[in-house]
Amino acid sequence: MRKEEISYDPIELDVRLWKRFKAGDPDAMGLLAQIHYRALYNYAARFSCDPDFIRDAIQELYLDLWERRTFLSETAFVKSYLLKALRHRLIKEALRLKKFHEPESAFFDEDNTDPSIEVNIIENENLRHQQGRLKQIISLLSKRQQEIIYLRFYQNLANDEIANIMGLGKQSVANLLYRTLKEIKQIWVPAEFFWLLIISFVAS
Amino acid sequence: MINYRTHSVEELATDEMFRRWVIDPTPELNCFWSQWIHENPDRSQTVSLAKELVISVRDMYRDELTSEMMRQDINEIVRLASERRNTSGWRIYLPAIWRVAAAFVLISGLSVAYYNARLLPKTVQTAHKIPVIPALQMRVSSNNDKDVMTVLLSDNTVVTLSKGSSITYPAEFSGSERRVSLRGEAFFDVSRNEQQPFVVYTGETVTRVLGTSFRIKAFDQDKTELIAVKTGKVSVFAKKEYEKANAKPDAKIPGVILTPNQQVVYIRKESRLERGAVSQPAMLVESIAAREQLFDDKPIPEVLVSLQKLYGIDIRYDKELLSKCRINAQFDDENLKQRMNAICQAIGASYDMVDGQLVITARGCN
Repeated sequence: MRKEEISYDPIELDVRLWKRFKAGDPDAMGLLAQIHYRALYNYAARFSCDPDFIRDAIQELYLDLWERRTFLSETAFVKSYLLKALRHRLIKEALRLKKFHEPESAFFDEDNTDPSIEVNIIENENLRHQQGRLKQIISLLSKRQQEIIYLRFYQNLANDEIANIMGLGKQSVANLLYRTLKEIKQIWVPAEFFWLLIISFVAS
Repeated sequence: MINYRTHSVEELATDEMFRRWVIDPTPELNCFWSQWIHENPDRSQTVSLAKELVISVRDMYRDELTSEMMRQDINEIVRLASERRNTSGWRIYLPAIWRVAAAFVLISGLSVAYYNARLLPKTVQTAHKIPVIPALQMRVSSNNDKDVMTVLLSDNTVVTLSKGSSITYPAEFSGSERRVSLRGEAFFDVSRNEQQPFVVYTGETVTRVLGTSFRIKAFDQDKTELIAVKTGKVSVFAKKEYEKANAKPDAKIPGVILTPNQQVVYIRKESRLERGAVSQPAMLVESIAAREQLFDDKPIPEVLVSLQKLYGIDIRYDKELLSKCRINAQFDDENLKQRMNAICQAIGASYDMVDGQLVITARGCN
């Protein structure tokens, strides 16, 4: 039964499960939890380092949706719906907890400015010649840029889904993503060519 | 078949089949992609960049979640969800509770009379010791042995006190807030007054509202305190924070704002507030005892006597004036105020809570 259902197109499966979930089917709830748990957990780990806090938050998220299931709307984007709801919950909760005891970590949302990566790179001139450059390049991006890279290339979401989660317009997401990728490539790709040149030079 | 030749680095890095090959390759995928690279040598740069992008992002955002943890958590979610599927199961037990409640109603009438008699001399004593404003004379209502006890406050707020609980409140509210303190558990149906917030102090939390209904559970011996909201908006603070902030007039007090069907648990050991959805629906009713009433063309005095018995409260009214008024009404899960509002509206009357009693003002009927 489970295998047969999972072999469907993931979006179509989500939509079907979401319908059954709304109708109050606990099995559909279990499957939805199973399909998206890892993605939700990983996303939440960007906001908090406390695994118990994350697990509680995800549990509450699902149960909260379960209790409100009859009021939920139909959606074709179940994954981004869940991610968005979780994000909202985590930010609210983190802001609250901050006032009671110090938060453990910085999260994606903290700054809203995107200074050009070039500014950061100046302080790290030898970056170009190191291994794992891309990781370092990404880590120097603004939090917002990091989140967009994460949602695009880790969670593998489309632009409109990212817009929905981050609460931005579709065009802003497209612009931000384009600009971010361009910045990354300016530093990353030339270095790649640089190495290719060295190698071909040595080889010849 | 997708033409991967025209794919950019980003498109390749988000292609489901390409990602699976990079992250979790199967022999089939290996076969496909190595052949593709062999046939498209000019694209090898794009492929290696896309590959690095997928792997780097994956490595950067790795998490510690194990399959075992995941399985446990999912099972727990499903278990809790199935539990909450049929939340009105307790209704089946109502007939039994109803019988018990009837017995308690008899006793409660006597108890209220007893407490009132005892409390009055006590308040006089305290008034002698501490020279307070007369309006702030404090009263204490304790429920030692009944399932629930209804306490009426001077602002028309109804408090349903659970067994083993007590509440301290002024005979008349004055000042900038309506302040009461609770030990144990109670359901509050607070009358709205935006100028004068209603504030409940318990052992370690402070709950502040304008006009809502909610339950507080804060027994001394418990490790936690719980506040669950039925209607309206409720702010909850740790008492320490609240008092600290009150010392500085402009300080913003850090707290939790709850909306209907939310609850917060204060963990005493960690001095921490933890928010969640209300887990037990029974927390959100005034009393789990059945309070069904059916009045079929009954004279108002008879209706009021029935209400007095049911809630263990005193209602003052002009019997003669109201004897000609009759109503049809059926009450099920309505609370005391909803019932009083319905009755008063039907006969064009109004009510107030004075000295722990309900006082009805009416013109009478023809």
